[in-house]
Amino acid sequence: MSEILSPKPLRLSGSQPFTQQRGVYIMIGERTNVAGSPKFAKLVKEGKFEEAVSVARQQVENGANVIDICMDEGMIDGVAAMTRFLQLLGSEPEVAKVPFMVDSSKWEVIEAGLKCIQGKGIVNSISLKEGEEKFRQNAAAVLKYGAATVVMAFDEQGQAATFEDKIRVCERAYKILVNEVGFPPEDIIFDPNILTVATGMEEHNNYAVDFINATRWIKANLPHAKVSGGVSNISFSFRGNNKVREAMHSAFLYHAIAAGMDMGIVNAGMLEVYEEIEPELKVLVEDVLLNRRPDATERLVDFGETLKAASSGASVSEKKAEEWRNGTVEERLSHALVKGIDAYIEIDAEEARVKLGRPLLVIEGPLMAGMSVVGDLFGAGKMFLPQVVKSARVMKKAVAHLTPYMEAEKAAMVAAGEVVKAQGKILLATVKGDVHDIGKNIVGVVLACNNYDVIDLGVMVPCERILERAKAEKADMIGLSGLITPSLDEMVHVAREMERQGFKLPLLIGGATTSRAHTAVKIAPHYSEPVVHVLDASRAVPVTTSLLSDEGKPAFVAQHRADYEKLRKTHSAPSQKLVSLETARKRHTSIEWRAADLPIPEFTGVRVLDNFPLATLREFIDWTPFFHAWELKGVYPRILDDERQGAQARQIFTEANALLDTMIEKKLITARGVYGLFPANGQCDDVELYADNSRAKVVERFHFLRQQANKEGSEPCRSLADFIAPKATGLPDHIGAFAVTSGIGLKELCDGFRAKHDDYNAIMAEAIADRLAEAFAECLHKRVRDEWGYGRAEKLSIDDMVHEKYRGIRPAAGYPACPDHTEKGTLWRLLDVQANTGMLITESFAMWPGSSVSGLYFAHPESRYFSLGKIDRDQVADYADRKGMSVAEVERWLGPNLNYDPAP
Amino acid sequence: MTSAREHPLYDILRRRIAIIDGAMGTTIRTYGMKEADIRGERFKDSKKDLLNNGDLFSLTQPKLIGDIHRRFLEAGADIIETNTFGATSITQSEFFVDDPREHGGRKDPAFYEKIIDDPFLGNLAWEINEQSAKQCRAWADRVANETGRPRFVAGAIGPLTVSLSNSPDADDPGFRVVTFDQVKAAYKQQARALIAGGVDLLLVETIFDSLNAKAALVAIREVFDEDGLSASDKELPLMISAAVGRGGETLISAQTTEAFWNAVAHAKPLSVGLNCSLGPDLMYPFLSELSEKADVAISCYPNAGLPNPLSETGFDLGPADMARYLGDFARAGLINIAGGCCGNTPDHIAAIAKALEGKPPREIGQIEAAA
Repeated sequence: MSEILSPKPLRLSGSQPFTQQRGVYIMIGERTNVAGSPKFAKLVKEGKFEEAVSVARQQVENGANVIDICMDEGMIDGVAAMTRFLQLLGSEPEVAKVPFMVDSSKWEVIEAGLKCIQGKGIVNSISLKEGEEKFRQNAAAVLKYGAATVVMAFDEQGQAATFEDKIRVCERAYKILVNEVGFPPEDIIFDPNILTVATGMEEHNNYAVDFINATRWIKANLPHAKVSGGVSNISFSFRGNNKVREAMHSAFLYHAIAAGMDMGIVNAGMLEVYEEIEPELKVLVEDVLLNRRPDATERLVDFGETLKAASSGASVSEKKAEEWRNGTVEERLSHALVKGIDAYIEIDAEEARVKLGRPLLVIEGPLMAGMSVVGDLFGAGKMFLPQVVKSARVMKKAVAHLTPYMEAEKAAMVAAGEVVKAQGKILLATVKGDVHDIGKNIVGVVLACNNYDVIDLGVMVPCERILERAKAEKADMIGLSGLITPSLDEMVHVAREMERQGFKLPLLIGGATTSRAHTAVKIAPHYSEPVVHVLDASRAVPVTTSLLSDEGKPAFVAQHRADYEKLRKTHSAPSQKLVSLETARKRHTSIEWRAADLPIPEFTGVRVLDNFPLATLREFIDWTPFFHAWELKGVYPRILDDERQGAQARQIFTEANALLDTMIEKKLITARGVYGLFPANGQCDDVELYADNSRAKVVERFHFLRQQANKEGSEPCRSLADFIAPKATGLPDHIGAFAVTSGIGLKELCDGFRAKHDDYNAIMAEAIADRLAEAFAECLHKRVRDEWGYGRAEKLSIDDMVHEKYRGIRPAAGYPACPDHTEKGTLWRLLDVQANTGMLITESFAMWPGSSVSGLYFAHPESRYFSLGKIDRDQVADYADRKGMSVAEVERWLGPNLNYDPAP
Repeated sequence: MTSAREHPLYDILRRRIAIIDGAMGTTIRTYGMKEADIRGERFKDSKKDLLNNGDLFSLTQPKLIGDIHRRFLEAGADIIETNTFGATSITQSEFFVDDPREHGGRKDPAFYEKIIDDPFLGNLAWEINEQSAKQCRAWADRVANETGRPRFVAGAIGPLTVSLSNSPDADDPGFRVVTFDQVKAAYKQQARALIAGGVDLLLVETIFDSLNAKAALVAIREVFDEDGLSASDKELPLMISAAVGRGGETLISAQTTEAFWNAVAHAKPLSVGLNCSLGPDLMYPFLSELSEKADVAISCYPNAGLPNPLSETGFDLGPADMARYLGDFARAGLINIAGGCCGNTPDHIAAIAKALEGKPPREIGQIEAAA
């Protein structure tokens, strides 16, 4: 026994897998067989395929694991009917989940069936009837299509009736299949012929026993092979007596399954439970089946007649209680849509129409609510696309029922002189350059099912054609689709064109690479009308309904615009790839520290400059920003000769200098400043300032931030702290600080101009004072370089200085290299700015008066300006810790530099 | 059937995780090609835009495509894919034939019958497949010689732009735009041309409709039989790979993972797996299910996360992310073949190859038993 492999289960599939369970009988539904069901045959012959589909659905609902489909009837075109029916079943998700058995005596019908099933089904059947060659050919073809197969115990001599013939034919077939064709043995299902017993002919009496014994032999001798059979044949003699037939089926199955029968074709509604067969009947039936006594048939016939007389033969109920029918009409409509059941949809739609008063209220109310549930389930991965399409088709039926009532309502409105809105017309297209449209087609189906007039322009549709057709057709809406990323740019293009051409239609965006965020950020800003991203087919209808509803549109659009505005805000700082702070620190600016690069300044401490001569500052003015303040874009002095702006530039330049002359002459404003130089060393991203050259006592500490953007190549992650010699080098370094203003008296001056309604000169005075403040910083920087020692040797013109050709930098808090304004607080303490100059800092660390500049001086030749860029949470936390601030406070000050959305 | 067993890849897959290359389409886009580049002299008068018909680059810009093949090979790919994802008469028709829907018509089996019979489309599809296969062959052999490590060419067979399982007609759920035989005919031609160009294996990939895939498998079987490959023991190994959604279902025909494996297992592929559609994180449960059910090698080449048009690369995940995820899959014993789909550049593949170096492959039941 240990050598006998445990039998491999039969594995099949529809859209769901089916794996045979050990000891569990596989039920094959037989009602979709024209030979077995006159009702089904009639539907097919009359071309009522959709009703025929409901027969298949009932089989699945009644528990069939596999459904047998047979179209073998003289009046039916087998290939066409098999194809059509299976394609319909393919669109019926509740049925398509089970494997299909393609049943025909004609090979071409079987092959047509195999071409329609995506899963692994069963062929019923092939046999040796036409010889080995044909058998091999057919078996290889079945294998090619990936199906299991029923093999009838039939050969060139005919049907195998006796035990000996059955096992002989089955063994022969098995050997050919396994050894020659390479057919997987577990996919071979023998049908050793269930033949009718109790016919009155003695040679038929042992048929049931022969089948059962053959089954036992096959299971023992042909590894992994399965056994099946058409069960209802056994009781054919008792046609019209369902009570006896049901008992016979059950008893036969009971014994055949015990012998190893795996599955059978049986009407699930025509089965009695074995344990519930009346004891007397059971004995009589088993006497017949097991051929236990010669008079068994007569005894069962007699008993059967009395039973027939006693009852009207009510069969085991085929109907499962449909509890959902007990709900309210709204619940029923929702259930029908979600489950894709169309059987009662018209009755329910009618009931809802009467209840709600108007057909439109049914559509916009319970039907739309049901479709929303479908959309939610789909979005949550609990429903799949074919089910959504099926739901839409049920929706279509409901809408179709309501349409005549809506027409009548319209007619009445027209008669009453009211304006009637036409059915919504939606134009769909896959944009230029893209050929993918299966998803768009599904959206088209769903919309059409919801009573929209859908115009599908296909794929690769250029913008012009979309817009032309939209105009010609008077479309209510345009839907664009695309799968590949370049399509996104094309969608932007279409939106721009719609804006340019003054379109007033909403624009819908869909397709695999599209997203709500992309639509909000990249597409919607180009078009004034609503541009709505539609996530999937299930969401199309709620969106289109809202956009075309007079009552619903304003609220929908308002909500939509608010949502997209929020998205745009979130994405205005697109997140970058950052490195960790730890990594960034390792990538600091690489400087080889040498004492020679660290000159010792001639003084340390603070110096105050009061009443600094404005005439000196004038020499240091960089005029270019002055013109920018007047919105003249260009570089001084070239701008004075600019073809377009030159005249204007020359005029304000002349007037500015005239005013400046007066300001200097009459001392209308005062320049005052304070600066200092301090012993300092770097300590990670901080710079410590010491009381004296013993460097023992830290008096202040500047905190700097470090770039975290993941840059290419050898570009370091810079921090201003990198430009001061680290404490660990043991080298004495220094840092400078300054705060200057040229704004003292400015407010009074401007107020005076404004009192005389001379706003022009007021603005001019402010612009000049700003330039003087910058000039002061520049001029002071020169003095500091000299006092620091290294500046004396520089041979620079003032123009060179304005262009910062000197060594060292003077970054300001609040500017790109150190965007944190709060560092000004430290500087104010260090230089005692307020006492020394009268300059103030406000709560938000703005300087007063306006024309003021403050900052730090770095002297190292390697020091340079840079922009901090985006930083991540790790640095924010570290910085907050260093500064003794809360993370939230740091995030508030550094908002534009955050690479993430801080918690609200 | 025995020939596939003897293919050297089987031995490699028993010993280590093989690396398959990254995406062709999204990598081509990094070269900034323009419409004129893809047209070249040959297609300069074509009526429709061709830029997104990336397979054509193999004819008009073979150097560019060769460069991508080379970069993937140098990044460590054992298997490179031909640039033939859409090289069938059916898919090419989208770029060269008027869409009847523009004139109020529809696409139906009568339309596709003409497409299948169209000599221009047929010849073009053949040429792309054969040329791309030859180009891959040349690069694979060259890098194999240089590095002393065998490299393989997989003939890429894509999912088509039509579905055999879905009806685009609102009034008729039984309607199909195309027939099984038409799809089969298109695939047969593609398989033959790829084989003629010298591919080592055939890869039916990005399957979103299992019936389309079954037509491809039937086509391949018929080519093997009709062209004497079966008789002479020269069948090529097959790789089969599905694109599944968040519920693990094939995207259009909604077949779940195990059901899909049951439907294709008869083809006795070298490997079955998942690619495209989802990033590795979302793919994990379905890959795990497939790995449990299938007794052949498991392949996995996901997208670099979900498409994200707002990110720099167009996808969420960078090389390090992909390497980490696939490294996790390897540690869990789930994979035999790994690589990337959309959004995966040579850098991604290099990172993946590095992460998987020395990691033991998943044990393959059937191959072990047969060995």
